[in-house]
Amino acid sequence: MKKKLRMNPILKKELMVGSRSMKMSFTILGINLFLILMVLFVMMVTNLNFRYSGYSYSSLTALFPVLGVTEGILLSIVVPIITSGSVSGERERQTLDVMLTTPVKPFSIAIGKLSSAMALVMMYVISAIPILAIAFVLGGLNWSALFGLIAMLLYIGIYVGSVGVFCSSVVKKSIAATILTIAIGLGIVIGTTVIFFIWRTLIAYRATLNSALNDIGNAPLIFLFNPYSPMVDFMLRSMSSISIYDLVEDSIPPYTEWIYRFWMPISIVLNLLIALGFLKLAANNICVTKNRKKAK
Amino acid sequence: MLEIQNLTKRYGKFLALNNLNLHIDKGEIYGFVGPNGAGKTTTMRIICGLLKPTSGNVTVDGIDALSHPDDIKRKVGYVPDFFGVYDNLKVMEYMEFYGSMYGMERSDIDEISEGLLELVSLSDKKDEFVDTLSRGMKQRLCVARALIHNPDLLILDEPNSGLDPRARFEMKEILKNLGNMGKTILISSHILPELSEMCTSIGIMERGQLVVSGKVDEIMNHSKGIQPIHMRAIAPEYESTDAGKEYIATILKEQPDVSKVTFTEDEILVSFKGDEMQSAQLLKHLFEHNILVSKFYREKEDLESLFLDITGGEQE
Repeated sequence: MKKKLRMNPILKKELMVGSRSMKMSFTILGINLFLILMVLFVMMVTNLNFRYSGYSYSSLTALFPVLGVTEGILLSIVVPIITSGSVSGERERQTLDVMLTTPVKPFSIAIGKLSSAMALVMMYVISAIPILAIAFVLGGLNWSALFGLIAMLLYIGIYVGSVGVFCSSVVKKSIAATILTIAIGLGIVIGTTVIFFIWRTLIAYRATLNSALNDIGNAPLIFLFNPYSPMVDFMLRSMSSISIYDLVEDSIPPYTEWIYRFWMPISIVLNLLIALGFLKLAANNICVTKNRKKAK
Repeated sequence: MLEIQNLTKRYGKFLALNNLNLHIDKGEIYGFVGPNGAGKTTTMRIICGLLKPTSGNVTVDGIDALSHPDDIKRKVGYVPDFFGVYDNLKVMEYMEFYGSMYGMERSDIDEISEGLLELVSLSDKKDEFVDTLSRGMKQRLCVARALIHNPDLLILDEPNSGLDPRARFEMKEILKNLGNMGKTILISSHILPELSEMCTSIGIMERGQLVVSGKVDEIMNHSKGIQPIHMRAIAPEYESTDAGKEYIATILKEQPDVSKVTFTEDEILVSFKGDEMQSAQLLKHLFEHNILVSKFYREKEDLESLFLDITGGEQE
């Protein structure tokens, strides 16, 4: 018999409950207002430059990366807030136990929570398209860049959302889960950067001895684990037709060149696998048979 | 329907369940009573698959609950002692949500939910938001929710706690109806008279063990002869009250069935294990020793007395 395709019940419920809340509307409004401020800021800077060096339309092309990066940063803050209450909220409301007496698997709960957050991310991204369209009018954006940016924001949403669901399954309070998610995100960004510099310093030290000063070895590869590095590669490709590969091609071992050429897909796949790991860990934490609850 | 064998659960050094054995037949309404920490909730959570036992076996309708938790989830409906609801979700949507968690079709969920809401007298509330319902209504809705997948075994953990008398009565009627429909129900409660009215069997738990278990009638027979006698008496030969009390206590204790005599402000409480004839003999004994009795009655036989007797007076 043909199996009917069903919508994840948790996703369905979350969308229904979320759509009745004013929180979502206010968040969309807030994000878009902030993006408008960024547009005004770029225009203001361009106008200021006009006084000194004439009007430079080319500087308006900065609008697209500014808006793209701003949206990425905003999502990295908003998604942890949305997902931080996903599991801890169920625990706080005392609805998790009942949910776990149903045949729904803990992993499905984690996926349902993430996908409901992703549905909201989609709404935020789509609602911001008219603001991104300003870059259409003023230059610096084409269709492929627009869809690429949307895909990139969704990828960031999935990564940060998975970390958020995991943190929500670890700590009891939603606010603590939000802080932990942002801390893990920052930790990965700062951590990969710090490791890169230490690695590069060690290589530079050895290179001094071997008179190969330009060599940075495999140190940049650590940024594959930085979830924002594909965004950097994407922005470089969209705006200046160069890529991460072009930045490092003279300083890396030839056998690693292919990694830098395909940096974006490799890093995205790697980070999505890490996100999957976070979801698996979340499912493991949700599984109450492992929870310790005092006997009554 | 439910078979528990040598179930043990440890939380570190604390032994929550100690080799618990329990058997519940199909169609029974089994009342689980015991003081705080006796292990009632732990037992229920293990049956539902919410906790893993340290050792032992649980089978529901012949299926091993520990090795086939997914099959058990379709056979068991659980109403926890504390539960929350979702904001911004209507009663019917709440039922639909849980129905869909069991993979049920929307049309089936709607049809079954209508019937269940009628059963718990919430048909007129189906379009209202769940968080606007009273505590009693939420409790009834939770029972309806637990029945959405037509489970063979319904487990209710303290369903009457926090309910007003009216809501308790309504809950009792719902459970009686479910019993009449042939559902097997395991219910824990600290309101013992209510349990004795609606349960077919009772189990009393104490420190992780089932100390008494059986049909309500059988247990009531056990409880016969442990009820205290309430009396008011005067010893006219003694002018001082204290001397009179001492004399009465001495005369009462001459009877072998009297284990303890307690003087309260206005009556004497006699712990007495004899039957009706022996209590009449006790009264005669008092008269023979010039003790005038103005009040003399035996406390009614009930589970409360048995429960207090077994658990040493500690009650939830």
